[in-house]
This record gives sequence, C-alpha cells and structure tokens, in this order.
Amino acid sequence: MTDALRLERVSFAYGDVTALAEVSFALGPGERAALLGRNGAGKSTLVRLVTGLRRPAAGSIWVEDWDTRDRPPEQLARRVGSMFQYADQQLFARTVRDDVSFGPRALGFAAPEVQQRVGRALAALGLEAHAAHHPYDLPPAFRKLAALAGALALEPRLLVLDEPTAGLDRALRARVASALLERAAAGAALLVVTHDLAFAAETLERALVLDRGRLACDEPLAGLLAAPPRLEPLGLAPPAVAALSRALGLPGAPVREADAARALARVAAGRRAPLD
Amino acid sequence: MTRLSLEHVSFWYPATDTPALADVSLEVAGGEVVALVGAVGAGASTLLLVAADLAPRVVGGRLEGAVDFRGRGNGEGGRGIVLPTPWTQVSGMAFTVWDEVAFGPANLGWPREQITRHVDRALARLEIAALRDREPATLSGGELQRVIIAGILAMDPALVLFDEPTAELDPAGARMLWRLVRSLAAEGKAVIVATNDLDALPDVADRVVWLEQGRAKKIGPPALLAEDALCAAGLGTAVAVVWRAGGLPRPYPLTVDDAVRLWRHR
Repeated sequence: MTDALRLERVSFAYGDVTALAEVSFALGPGERAALLGRNGAGKSTLVRLVTGLRRPAAGSIWVEDWDTRDRPPEQLARRVGSMFQYADQQLFARTVRDDVSFGPRALGFAAPEVQQRVGRALAALGLEAHAAHHPYDLPPAFRKLAALAGALALEPRLLVLDEPTAGLDRALRARVASALLERAAAGAALLVVTHDLAFAAETLERALVLDRGRLACDEPLAGLLAAPPRLEPLGLAPPAVAALSRALGLPGAPVREADAARALARVAAGRRAPLD
Repeated sequence: MTRLSLEHVSFWYPATDTPALADVSLEVAGGEVVALVGAVGAGASTLLLVAADLAPRVVGGRLEGAVDFRGRGNGEGGRGIVLPTPWTQVSGMAFTVWDEVAFGPANLGWPREQITRHVDRALARLEIAALRDREPATLSGGELQRVIIAGILAMDPALVLFDEPTAELDPAGARMLWRLVRSLAAEGKAVIVATNDLDALPDVADRVVWLEQGRAKKIGPPALLAEDALCAAGLGTAVAVVWRAGGLPRPYPLTVDDAVRLWRHR
C-alpha cells in the first residue's frame, strides 16, 4: 500500500540555523502520529515543508505518489489538509461557513458537494451554531476550530495540524479528538504537532519526537508516555493520567482517562492491590 | 498596596444583548495568584480585558458596576496583560528580540540604563537571553510567547494578567512559566491567570474562580478542582476526573500525590 506521507532524509535551515537534519519517516493511511518536541525543535518547520510552503534544502517529501517538490501548495491541498499554529491567520471570509467552504470550492467541487462537505466538517466539530458568525466575533478557540473545519472539509488523505488544541477547554478538546478519530477511521493519516500530551494520549498512537532538528524517537505513544525517565531528556513531561497510573502501579500503565478509570475501578474492587 | 477590585461588574461587547460578564465581584491583592477557569466563552478573557482597563476603553461595549485599581500608574506599577494570541502582540517595530522587549519600557520614557536593566532581567527570567539578537519574525511560537511575556514584565507592572500563557509552550516552558507566576506574586505583584492547564493550578493558584456564562459561580481554593460539580463541568484536574470516572468515593484527590495518600489509607 502507498504511504500517505513519506519523508526521505529531509533537511532544512533558516540561514545558518539548522531546523531539520535528515529526518525520515513514513505514515500509512489511517495512521495517527503525534509530532512532539521542545519549542524550536523543528516541528512547525516540518509542517511548512509537508504543506509545500517551504522546500526541503535536501531530501524529499512524498504525499502518496506525489513528490512535493513538483507540486505547488494549492495542488498539494488536494491531498493535504492543514491547520497552522496561528490559525487566526488562516481565516479571511465573512462567515465561518464561507471560510470552511473556500477549500472545497477552490478544489472545484460542485455546489451540492461543497455544501455536504462543509456540513460534515461543521457537524464534526459542533460548529453549526456558529456557521453564520463572523470568525472574528468568536473567541480564539472557536476561530481555531473554524480553521480546523476548513481543513476537514477538504476530506484529505493527510491532515497536518499544528497545535490544534492550544487554548481549548476540555469539551472542545474532546470535539477535536472525536473529529480526528473519525477522519482517521475513514482512512486519513494524521500528523499532529502538539504539546498537549493528554490530548495526544487520547487521540494518537505513534510518537515522532524531534530534538534539535533530528528525529530522536519513533515508537508507540502510550509506551513512551508511560516512561517518564525517557520523556525528560526529550523536553517532554508525562501527562497527569500517565503519572497517576505509574504512581499507583495501575496494571497495563494506562495513559488514557477512560482506561485509567477502568483500571482504577478494577483494582479498587479488590482484584489487585498495588502499593500495599 | 496593589489591589484590584471588581464590584458587581457586568460587561457587554458592542452590538450584543447577552453580557459576557454578569455581576462579577472579585478582589485581588498584591502577592496573590488568582486563576480563572471555565469553558471557552465563560468570560475569563473578558474579565482580564476589564481588569486591564481595555474593556470597554479600547474594545468598546458597555460596563456596569465598579472597577477600582490601586497600583502606581500605567506601565510601571500599572497593569500588564499577556493576550492568548502572542503574534498579535508583537510591536512589529523591532529588528531584535532585545528591542522588542524594550519597546514597552522605552514608551514609558525611562532612562536608558533603567530600560537596559529591566529588559536584561526580563530576558533572563524567561530564559531567552540567548535569543536577544534574533529577529522576532524568525522565532517559533513558544519562543515568541516568551518574548511577549518578557516585554510585559520589563515594564514592571503591579498587576499582571495572563490569558492562556502556556498555550504555545512546551512542558519545560510551561513549568518555567508557572514558577515565574509564583515568583511574581512573591515580589508583591497581583497575578490573574486564565488557563485550561488545570493540572498546574494546585501548585500555582491561591484562589480559583469558576466562571460560567459570565458569572462567577464559585470562588475558593484550588481544591475546588476536585469537587464533583467542577469535574462534571469539565474543570476537574485529570486525577480527580479519573477518580470520579472510576466510580471511587469522594473526596476525589486533586493531584497525583493526593491520590497516592488516599490510596494508601483506603
């Protein structure tokens, strides 16, 4: 099967400052990857490369069978939906609905198809009530969701998102999680830059960690989150649920809330008593 | 002594009928960290804009009730706010990080050596001294957020208002920020912070204000974040939420350490 995304020894520098050094990995269809690492580790740069806004200085990036070097961003948008860190800057229409429909319209879909895609994207994020609002009349968190809805409406094979949950409350984070899980179940690959490891634990399955421009780690996310000594040197910290599981010695070292709650309930019911 | 007092404050944004803040009363004194928690749209950002004297003065709209601030003036000894969108707070007039951080102090008309002292200290506190000669436009999101915070602190405000200050920061940056918030309070500054980083609050906040639909529904110690009602509203710490979801009895633990103690004594 063709990879949704493949990076082959990708490097990039801003002047003298190396941002990415020989990064290689591939994502299959439906795969859900977190792109993690410190501020300045190269995460947002990688997003710009994958979306075609920048060209790698060396190496190549493939979106399915397209070499991104041969494709301008507007063409890449047929396969890659993206949301940038400063999502505000992605919005320009007078209403949320117009903004979300821009992408599918630009891809040349007929009006009924555009309408259906926009409807699905707004529904996935619970934004229907805000469809007629001006994006800038909404709090920043909802503007972020509007930008994400714009990416979802493309129904792309690859979603590349930069900090989709920053500044969101628990309920909105859950909406983003379920919308992303739904797209992944439909076969879209996810590459999500995030510092929100609690959200990552709930939503994503694979950890790609950048450290000073190099890919320092590529492994299942849950295992990494359950190993605090390994997180620290990468500039990461275990989310509270992983820390709780570890402190109580919960069986299976769960990192998702629902799993931890179940494990806690089982242990409390007396089947096993760690720490005693 | 620094003190901010809101008495029965309601606020309406321009052309809206529903108040974004409704009958909120709150006092914050120097030395205190008060955290605002609530769902998006509950009024936390609006409360910060009112506290910063930006609403209605800059934002427009209508305010009822009384807002009283005792500091020493504006800028220095006054109020500083860190917005949730750091990229909108860049002056756009500085070629280096140092100049960007100096922008506020320079506008206060300070003598040069005072500006230098405050800018250098702010850069050191935000752990970004190494970025001093970088061009702001080349910074990562987290780096830029630190620069903006440094620029506010360099003006030495008596009341510091933070709106989602850790949203762009990595875990190490978030830890640094929360330590900084405590040290600002230790210096006698009053700090109000709106955040969804609920798990950080037990170690940071003296008081928590639960906002819902513009109203201050409850004000109390961080232990509020382990109460059933807040957990149900999505405002419990992760540990409290897991405890509750696992069907374990109340009181729910607030932190991992609390959970370990409860577990041993059960």
